[in-house]
Amino acid sequence: MSTNQDTAHRPGLTPPGARGIHAVPTIPILSLEGLRKTYRDPMTLRPFTAVDGVTLELERGEIFGLLGPNGAGKTTTIKLLLGLARPTAGRVLLDGREPHDPASRSRLGYLPENPCFYDHLTPLEYLDLTGALFGIPSVIRRRRAVDLLERLGLSGHARKALRKFSKGMTQRVGLAQALMNEPRLLVLDEPMSGLDPVGRSEVKALLREQRAAGATILMSSHVLAETEPICNRVGIMKLGRLVEVGAVSALLQSGVREWEVAVERLSDTIVTLLLAAGHDVERVGSRSVIRVRDGEALQGVLGQLVQGGVHVHSVEPRRETLEEHFVRVLDGRAGAGGGRS
Amino acid sequence: MSALRDWGGMVAAIAVAVALVAASGTVDRAGRAQRGAPSRDELLYYPSGVWVRQAALGYETAAADLAWLRGIQYYGEHRLSDQRYDMIGHVMNIVTDLDPRFTQPYVFGAFVLSQELNQPQRGLELLQKGMRANPESWRLAFETGFLHYVGTHDHAAAARYFARASGLPGHPDYAERFAAFAAQRAGDRAMAVLLWKRVEATGNKYMQEVARRELRNLGEGEES
Amino acid sequence: MRGVVAIAQNTVREVIRQRVVLVLALFGVGLVAASQVLSPLALGEGRKVVTDFGLAGSSLLATLLVVVLGSSLLHKELERRTIYAVMAKPIRRGEFLLGKFCGLWITAAALVAGMFAIVLGVVTVAYGETPWIVAGAMTLTVLELGVITAIVVFYSSFTTPALTAFFTAATVVAGNFADDLLYFGTQGASLWLARVTEGVYWILPHLTVFNARGSVVHGIAVAPERLAFAAAYGLLYLLALLIVAGAIFERREFR
Repeated sequence: MSTNQDTAHRPGLTPPGARGIHAVPTIPILSLEGLRKTYRDPMTLRPFTAVDGVTLELERGEIFGLLGPNGAGKTTTIKLLLGLARPTAGRVLLDGREPHDPASRSRLGYLPENPCFYDHLTPLEYLDLTGALFGIPSVIRRRRAVDLLERLGLSGHARKALRKFSKGMTQRVGLAQALMNEPRLLVLDEPMSGLDPVGRSEVKALLREQRAAGATILMSSHVLAETEPICNRVGIMKLGRLVEVGAVSALLQSGVREWEVAVERLSDTIVTLLLAAGHDVERVGSRSVIRVRDGEALQGVLGQLVQGGVHVHSVEPRRETLEEHFVRVLDGRAGAGGGRS
Repeated sequence: MSALRDWGGMVAAIAVAVALVAASGTVDRAGRAQRGAPSRDELLYYPSGVWVRQAALGYETAAADLAWLRGIQYYGEHRLSDQRYDMIGHVMNIVTDLDPRFTQPYVFGAFVLSQELNQPQRGLELLQKGMRANPESWRLAFETGFLHYVGTHDHAAAARYFARASGLPGHPDYAERFAAFAAQRAGDRAMAVLLWKRVEATGNKYMQEVARRELRNLGEGEES
Repeated sequence: MRGVVAIAQNTVREVIRQRVVLVLALFGVGLVAASQVLSPLALGEGRKVVTDFGLAGSSLLATLLVVVLGSSLLHKELERRTIYAVMAKPIRRGEFLLGKFCGLWITAAALVAGMFAIVLGVVTVAYGETPWIVAGAMTLTVLELGVITAIVVFYSSFTTPALTAFFTAATVVAGNFADDLLYFGTQGASLWLARVTEGVYWILPHLTVFNARGSVVHGIAVAPERLAFAAAYGLLYLLALLIVAGAIFERREFR
C-alpha cells in the first residue's frame, strides 16, 4: 500500500484510511494559540473582543464540535483559522502553516454558515471551479463532481442553475464542494442547517465516513442533539472564550441526573404522594413515567410502588444530555453582561 | 511585529505602484512624438473650440458627425422655406472645431456663406481655418482659389491658391489648368506662362495642345 | 496562476450570463443600423459617419459595461459571501482580484472585437470597401479598456458600487482632460501651480494616448510605434493600479 506521501497530491488515488496518516505525526492538523480578535465599532470606536484567548489543538482523525450561543465567537474563530480575518493576537497553524499561505488550505474543506455560491453556475460547474482552484486535473475533477453529487442526492439537479436551489439543496452543494479535494481537515459551520431529519442523518453518516477515511473534522453547531452522537470532543464557547473542552463522554460523566420509572396504572393517591415528595409524574395514556431525583429516593419510591401493587415496567437512569450540560456550563459561568447579542 | 510587516507591505506596494506610474509617464512622454496631431492646434480656437472638444470626451469625430448631420438638416429645411442660413457658419465652425480634419464642412460652409449669404469673407475665413489645420489638403487650397474666383473675383488670389493646390500631394490635373487660367485672367503673364508650361509637361495630349495654344497667345511661341 | 485562470473563466461566464451584455450587444447593432439610416443625409459622408459611430459606439458601450458590471464585482462577492468558499481554497487574494480583472477585460475586449466585425461588415456591404485601418483604433480601445477596468477594480477594492462607478467615471473624464490640464498649468503665472498640475497629470490616466478614432476615420493609420508605446504605457499604469488594489484587498477583513 502506498504511503500518504505518495498519494498526498494525487487525488482519487488515496487509499481508505490513509488520508490522515502522516510521516510527521507530531504536527497537529490545527493549532490555535492564544487567539484573540478585537473589532473596533466604526461609530463609537469602542473595542469589542469577539475571540478572547482561544487555545486549542485538534487531534488527527477526531470530530470536534465547537458549541456556543449566538455571538459566542465560533464563526469568528473559524474565519481566523481560514485567513478570512486577521487575529489581533495569537497564532493559527494549519498543518504547520500560517493561514495567509495558500498551501495551508490545499487539503482543507470548508462549508460556510448559510452558504451562498455563484448562482449563475450549475452544481457541476461550481464543483469544476472548486476542483480547478485546487489544481485537480479536469478529468478527475469532473468524475469526482459527478460522484459527490450522486452521494449527496443531487444527481437530478446537476445541470440546474444554483439560483433555483432550496436551502437544503444548497447546503448539500456546500458539502460537495467541501469534499472535492478529499480534505484532511474539514471545517463545517452549521453543517446540519436547512436539512430535514433524513438529510441530517445522511450528513452524520457522511461525517463518520470521512473520519474513517482519516479526515479531522471541526464543526460548529447549535443543534446539540445532533452533535452529541458523532463528536469525539466538544468545546464550549461563551463571550469569545473557550470555557470547556473535553470528550463528550467525560463531560457527561457527572453522573446520573435522574431515574425514569415507567409504570402501569398509577392511582391518584400515589401520584399525590409522589408529587408531594418532589418527584415528577407524567401520564401517557394508561402508563406513567415517574422521574426520581436521586438514587437514594429511588429505593423509597420503588418500595412504595411495589407496596401499592403498581406494575413497574422499567427503571432507566437518565444521564445529562449535552444540551443540559451546555446550558448548565453557560449559566454557571455567567459573567458580566455586554458584548454582542 | 506582524503589524509592522503589515504596514511595511502596504508601503512597499505603494512604492512599487509609484515607480510604475513614473515609468508609465516616462513611456508616455517618449511616445508623444509618435502621437503627433492633434497636439495643441485646436486651442487656436479657444475659447469656443476647446470647450466643445472637451465636452465630447474622446468622441469628437462622432460628435462632429452629429453636428454635421444637424447642419445639413438645417440647410435643407431652410432651402425649402425661407432660404435663410444665418447659423450655417456657426454650425460648420462647431463641426470643424470638433473634427478639424473633416474637410467637407469647411467647403460646404464656405460656399453657403459666400453664395447664399453673400458673405465671401466669412467663407474665406472658414477655409483659412481649414487650411491651417490641414496644410497638406489640396482640396481646401483649391476651393479657396475657387471661392476667390467666383466670390470675391480676386483672380490673382485665385491663381495663387490654385497654384498652391497644384503643389500639394494628391491634387488632380485640373488644378494646374485652373491656376493657369486664373493667372491669365489676372493679367499675371509670367505666372500664366509658368503654369502653362507645367501643364504642357503633364503628358496629357489634349492638355498639351491647349497649353501650347495658350502659350502662343501669351507670346511664348513654339518654345519648349 | 491556475487560480487566476479559474476566477477569470468564472467572471467571463458570469458576465456573459447576465442579460445586460445581450442588451448592450443589441444596442450596438442598432447603433450601426441607425447610422446607416442617417448616412444618406450626410451629403456623401456616409462612410465616415458609419465608421465614426461604430468606433464611438463600441468604445462607449464597452466602457459602460466595464463600469456597470465592474463596480459591483467585489462588493457582490462580499455582500453575498460567495467569496468565503472561494478564499478558503488555496488561492491568494491578489490572484482572485487579478482573475476578476482579467475576466472583465477579456469580456470587454470580446465585445469590442464583435463590434469591430460588425463595423467592417456594414461598411463593406454599404460602401464596397473594408476599413481595415479601423483595427488600429479598436486595438487602442481594447488597451484603454484595460486601464479603465483596472481603475474600476482599484476603486471597488475599498468602496461601494455606487462610489466605484462615480469615481471611475470621474477618473475617465479627468483622464481625457489630462493633456489640457498640463497645458493650462504651464500657462499660469505660478510655478507652484504648474508643479501641482504636473503632479496631478502624472497620476491621472492619459486616455488620449488610446484615442485614434479621429485619425483612422481620416485615413491615418495607427503606427506600430504608437501602438507599442500605448501598450507599454497602459500595461505599466494598470499594473500599478492592480498592485495597490491587491494590497488594499489583502488587508480587507471579511465581516
